Amino acid sequence: MSNFFYGIGQGIKGMFQNKMFSFAAIGTVTACLFIFGVFFSVILNFRAIVYKAESQVGITVFFEENLAQADIEHIGVLIKQMKGVDSVKYVSPEEAWENFKKDKFENDEDLIETFGDENPLKDSASYVVKISDMKQEPTISKDIEALEGVRKVNSIEAVAGSINNFNLLVAYVSITLIVLLILVSVFLISSTVAMGISVRKEEIAIMKLIGATDRFVRFPFIVEGVLIGIIGAAIPVGLLYIFYGSASDYIAKQFPSISKWFDMVDSVSVFSVVIPASALLGIGIGLLGSAHSVRRHLKV
Amino acid sequence: MTSEEEMIIQTPDYEDNSYEEEEKEKSEKSDKEIIRFQNLSYTYSSKTTALKGISLSINQGEFVFIVGESGSGKSTLIRTLLGELKPTEGDIIVEGANLKNIGRKEMPYYRRRLGVVFQEFKLLEDRNVYENVEIAQRVIGVKKDKRIENCNEMIKLVGLSDQSKKKVRELSGGEQQRVAIARAMVNKPSILLADEPTGNLDPNNSWEIMGLLQNLNEMGTTVVVVTHNDNLVNSMQKRVITLQTGEIIGDKLGGYIQ
Repeated sequence: MSNFFYGIGQGIKGMFQNKMFSFAAIGTVTACLFIFGVFFSVILNFRAIVYKAESQVGITVFFEENLAQADIEHIGVLIKQMKGVDSVKYVSPEEAWENFKKDKFENDEDLIETFGDENPLKDSASYVVKISDMKQEPTISKDIEALEGVRKVNSIEAVAGSINNFNLLVAYVSITLIVLLILVSVFLISSTVAMGISVRKEEIAIMKLIGATDRFVRFPFIVEGVLIGIIGAAIPVGLLYIFYGSASDYIAKQFPSISKWFDMVDSVSVFSVVIPASALLGIGIGLLGSAHSVRRHLKV
Repeated sequence: MTSEEEMIIQTPDYEDNSYEEEEKEKSEKSDKEIIRFQNLSYTYSSKTTALKGISLSINQGEFVFIVGESGSGKSTLIRTLLGELKPTEGDIIVEGANLKNIGRKEMPYYRRRLGVVFQEFKLLEDRNVYENVEIAQRVIGVKKDKRIENCNEMIKLVGLSDQSKKKVRELSGGEQQRVAIARAMVNKPSILLADEPTGNLDPNNSWEIMGLLQNLNEMGTTVVVVTHNDNLVNSMQKRVITLQTGEIIGDKLGGYIQ
């Protein structure tokens, strides 16, 4: 136990003794984990946009002319029972006309008056079907189209395909970037710690010649690497916390139109992942980097 | 501490022996082989052969000089004994254990049987005298109270009690070599290897260091000194092994071959 605390003490001492190398190593980890944090936040927000988009688009189902209300309701029940269907909303001809007026005529009274009291969409009752997984959209559309009494199905295949592709792209890009960042961090910290260790290779050789085990020699360097990793993780998390909060406020104030259709993911959701992930990555990078570097000098 | 570690650091408490017991033990020890080189050869990767078929035996409690010109293989011999270099051929047997059979993991425990002193001292520059000696005790896991007692005792033995808090870089060459000797001896090893211990010292300091090594030898430690200092070797009248181009060309008691 005495040697355990001695090793921790030596690790802390070593970090301060090699200020330049420690500073460079902390800087490296900070930069990498800051980039990781930024990417992670961006990715999380992209995913939020995608989920929102997914929840807003739906398949529109139109019925044959003069279909009885009971048949329409029956079709609704059948659709609800289909696998992958999230919700089914009935849009009456009146609602359809109201929505149309709002969207296309922007409530232009003069233009609307030319239609009088007549509802040009009187045969346009429909169901808006929301689905939980966009990949199932073509199958569901086909199944609905096959139902008796259904005249037309406005499929959202193109939209669904785009969302799916975008989802995949975001996942691939984020995984690639995070893996690359981790590799770069391990390489950089390994080189930085190696520089610090090469200055102390004489010390390592002396220890080995007086009978120190590899574990005894390695431990202070591991402590040093882990400390560098923890500090290197704490700085970007702190910076990111300030930066993220400010960015949310800025977007909400300066771009209210964006805020209407997109809410930034809240800090708690982002940092409940970023803090443990950064801490683990920082410690892991420090551990790997120092263990790899010190190993080369242990062969005495 | 593991039983293996305990076994390794156990050495006789020579300070409590009476004169007669010491003499008796000395004569018994002098017949007991402690180091044996058997047909030892070493060739560097550059194809330079540093040692050729060295066979020699050193008994417990002996004081041996290994001499020879630069490049004769003196330091290579010490480095093979330390386990730093693996012999190309032959065997090294220390206290009955063949170095061939000591793996990388067991090497630190083997090295604890040896005290080592180098020409360039090899001290931890950023630490003080006490800390430099203490590190050898920490390495073998000695408890704090015992560590303080042993280190202070050894620092006193080498005459540096009043300087134990000084950083080693503030000391003279002779004083630094004393610290190195204290560090080498604090774990009470049975063998002390000194590779050119006076190489960086003036004549006065060289004599003081040799006197210290002689004292340690009289206390029971087997001392092997590599040197090319003719005056010291001739004056001390000990066993002298002479190497030339990696081969033994002389092994006799009481003086240097000219």
